[in-house]
Formats: sequence, C-alpha cells, structure tokens
Amino acid sequence: MTPVATILLVDDEERILDALERTLRREGYRILTATSGTDALRLLEGGTVDAILSDHKMPGQSGLDLLAQAAARCPQAVRILVSGWPEEVAPERMRALGIRALVAKPWDAHALRATLREALETR
Amino acid sequence: MSEPSSPARRVAARPAAGVAGASPARNAGTLGRHAEAILRNLNTALLVVDTGGQVSGANPPAAAILGEAVEGLPGRVVWDWFPDTPRDELPFARSLREGARVCGAELTLTRRDGQRVPIGVSSGPLLEADGSPLGAVATFQDLSGIRRLQRQVLHAEKMASIGRLAAGVAHEINNPMGFIHANLFQLEEYLADLRRLWEAVAELRQAAGASVDARLRDARGRLDALARQVDADFLLGDAAKAVRESLEGAERIRHIVQDLRVFADPHEGEPVPADLNRVLDATARIVWPTLKHTVVLRKEYGELPLVRCRPTQLQQVFMNLLVNAHQAIQERLRTEAGQGEIVLRTEPVPEGVRVAVSDDGIGLPPGPGERVFEPFFTTRPAGEGPGLGLSAAYDVVRRHGGTLRAEGRPGGGCTFEVRLPCEGGPPPDPGP
Repeated sequence: MTPVATILLVDDEERILDALERTLRREGYRILTATSGTDALRLLEGGTVDAILSDHKMPGQSGLDLLAQAAARCPQAVRILVSGWPEEVAPERMRALGIRALVAKPWDAHALRATLREALETR
Repeated sequence: MSEPSSPARRVAARPAAGVAGASPARNAGTLGRHAEAILRNLNTALLVVDTGGQVSGANPPAAAILGEAVEGLPGRVVWDWFPDTPRDELPFARSLREGARVCGAELTLTRRDGQRVPIGVSSGPLLEADGSPLGAVATFQDLSGIRRLQRQVLHAEKMASIGRLAAGVAHEINNPMGFIHANLFQLEEYLADLRRLWEAVAELRQAAGASVDARLRDARGRLDALARQVDADFLLGDAAKAVRESLEGAERIRHIVQDLRVFADPHEGEPVPADLNRVLDATARIVWPTLKHTVVLRKEYGELPLVRCRPTQLQQVFMNLLVNAHQAIQERLRTEAGQGEIVLRTEPVPEGVRVAVSDDGIGLPPGPGERVFEPFFTTRPAGEGPGLGLSAAYDVVRRHGGTLRAEGRPGGGCTFEVRLPCEGGPPPDPGP
C-alpha cells in the first residue's frame, strides 16, 4: 500500500485553509496548514511533505518566494501556486522556479483535486 | 462712435509697454488719434455702457461673444444678458454704483437665442477728465473652451481615482469570495450525500414500521413526527436549491471582480509595436458569431502606423466597444424590425491612430456623454451586466496615453472613438 501523501497548505487567511481542507478531505491526504511562509518553512523542517500548495499574495513573504525556498529544503515536494490574479504571475518565473501548476482563486474543486492528484502521480 | 475714445484715453493714462521708444505723452496722442481703429482691431471683447447700463459702444469680439451684430448693440441694456445674476452683483453695476474695479469675475451670459456662455469679466468706471461719471467699461472673454478643458481634466482625474478604488476593492473581495465559493461547492456535495443518507433512512423507516418490535415502531413514529415537523424532504431539496443559487451569485461576483481588475495597473509584459487593424480584426472575428444574426459589419480600414501597446488589453477595449454597439442595436430592434449596422473605421491621424466603432442602435442616454464611462453606469436592466465594459475600456485607453470619446448622432446611433499615440509621434512627413 502506498503511504498517504502529506500536503502542506499555506494561506494567510485561515478560512481559505479551512475551505481548501474541505475541498481535499475526500482525497485522503494528510493535511498540514500554515498561515505564513515562516510557519510553512518550519513545518518543512519537521518531516516529509509531498506537495505544497501556497497562496501567492501574503503579507511578508510571497508565495513565489516561499516555494523557491521550499525547493531547496524539500526538493521532492511538488509545488503549486494559488493566486487570485493568475495572469499576474509570469510563466517564465514559474518555470524557472520549477512550480508545477498555477491554481486560480476562487478555485474549481474538481480541477484542484485533479491537478494535485496528477502532480503527485507524475512527481 | 464718439464715446469709445474715452476708454482709450484711460488706457493711455498708463504707459503702454507695447509701443517701443515712445513716451507716454506721445502714446496718448497715438491712441487718441487711432482710438476707433484700435478698438475695432483689439483682440479682446470690449463693452462700454452709459450710467444707465445701456451699451454705448462695443467692438467686434464683444459682438461675437454676445451673439449679435455690432450695429445692433448700442442702446441694449447690459443686464438683459445676465438673467441669472442679481443686477447689484454684476461687475458693470458695481463699477457704475461704487466705481469698483472688478477683475476676472466669472458670469454666465444668456444670448438672445437662449444659448449660455461662461465669460470672465473685468470692469471699471468710465470717468471724464474732471472725474464725473460717464458709465463703465468692461473687457471680457469667452470661457467655454477653458471650462470644457477643466471638465475633461476633472473627469479624467475622477476616472483614475475610481479606477484605483475599483482595483483595490476587487483585491479585497477576492479572498472572501475564494472561501465562500469553495464552501458553497462543498455544501453542495455534502447535501447530495445527506440526501442519499435520507433515502437509506426511508428504507429503514419502512422496515421499522413493519417490525414486531414495539420499540422500533415507536422510534419510527418519533422519527416520522420529527420529519413532519421540520419538513425534512422540503428542507433537503430546498437547501440544495439555495446552495445552487448562491453558487450562481458567487459566480456572478467572480466575473464582476475580474472585470474590475482591468482597472489595476497591470505588471504584465512590456508594450509591443502592433498593427491595430489586425488587433481589431481579430476581436471582430471573436465577436462575430454573436453579432451575425442581427448586424451587418462594415470595415473601413486605413493604413496605420504601428502603435506601441499591450495588444490583449486593446483587444479587450475593442471587444467591449463591439459588445456595447451590439447591445445598443439589440435595444433598438426590440421595437423595430430589421437589422443593425456596425462600422469599424481606422485611419492615421497627426498624433497617431484613430479607431472608430459606430452603430445605429438606440444612441446615447441623455445627460453628459462622459457618464457612460463611469463604472456601474448602465442603461440595461439589473442583472444584465454591471456596466463595467465601457469604463474598463476608458481606463485601458487612458493608460495607453490615448483618449476614448463617445458621440451620439441625432436620430439614434453613436460612435466611440479611440485615439492612440504612436511611437515617436506622427509619422515623418514625406515632404518634397
């Protein structure tokens, strides 16, 4: 049996984290949450994370910066960016940082689940 | 005209800077001799009234602003042109009554044909050499042009600040929308599961009702009573409906927020040189399927210099203008049979390029034309789009350093005109 994948969700708005957990509950992942880049990096120290799903616009560290740092600490984790304004994120930067997917906020539940599933399978 | 020589003398009392090498005394002589020619040729409106407020002299620029012939002016009473202003407050009256010298007072004059003209007036008393009053003398200019410019500047500033506000609000709304949308979607899934559960319970109720066990039959009775009390079947069905409708609402808000986003300063890419004929044509192709049943599209493209721009944004502008033209035509066809026509015209102009989208729809709503560019201004019924298309277009064009104007035509129809500067100003003149 494949072990349960661990997903780290990052957003400065706790209600977004609650809603993301609801969207992913049936997928059977182990879910960790963080409300800032600093908290997220601390959680990454603690153990294996298979995927990081981070909001882009956060006070302090941006999602892109967080995912760039996460790549160094936790290279095996798939990284996905969530943004209210996806067209503002340059595709070249996404590619340069090795970010797998960009999810628009508000998100489509089916699409988000599929994106995450596929990213974990083809990691 | 003998009277106007008096004001000329008054002017001459101060050294005239314009006549080089001449002493004040000699100037007085020159001005005195040529007073009438000077008055006639003076490039500012001049009006002289007697102590009773009757016009005793005026020059051609004054007549032009008053909308009359020069010969028709003497004898007219000056107050009659200013029905909006109490007579005591008129600069002429104050100069006559108190000898006041008024500088740059702003008034609205009403012409004989009813047209109103804003003017700036300076006036002073007209005195004989011995100080006895002859009347008053005033110079004035037509402020219509300046007023129009002021209105445009104010409007542009207002639009810019509304734009910033809109973009900020859009950002703030999007986060709560994120979880409202996701939660509603999740509730929909939960409710579908609860309904399946309730259907299983129905089977159990049936089985329990037929049971020999009295405790089971009692429990079923209580469950039935409770189900009746809370109206369980309705509740499950209506909860699903309420959630579905709320999701639709959330979806609508999401679109509005996205439209508002256009007002934010985008950080996307550098502008590139583009052929606007191609940008316009590509947009027309996208919109064509929705137009073709009711609209004939005519294209009159001129040869254009390249314009440095963000083509996807301008595509959005043309799209909004086309959609607006289509809606105006649809509106007209509600009460009339037939088809509408949209004309796309492009041409080079001295400062760059001009793109005009004309339709023969219902025309502009009454009121100031700029209003159609204000966010949420719409003539459509509630629920049929929030009225952001034209204001978004206005903002994009403004950010490209251009202008967007709307012009109605008598008898319906209107033209939206985009003017955009092209790189390095006008194309070089071929010259000889």
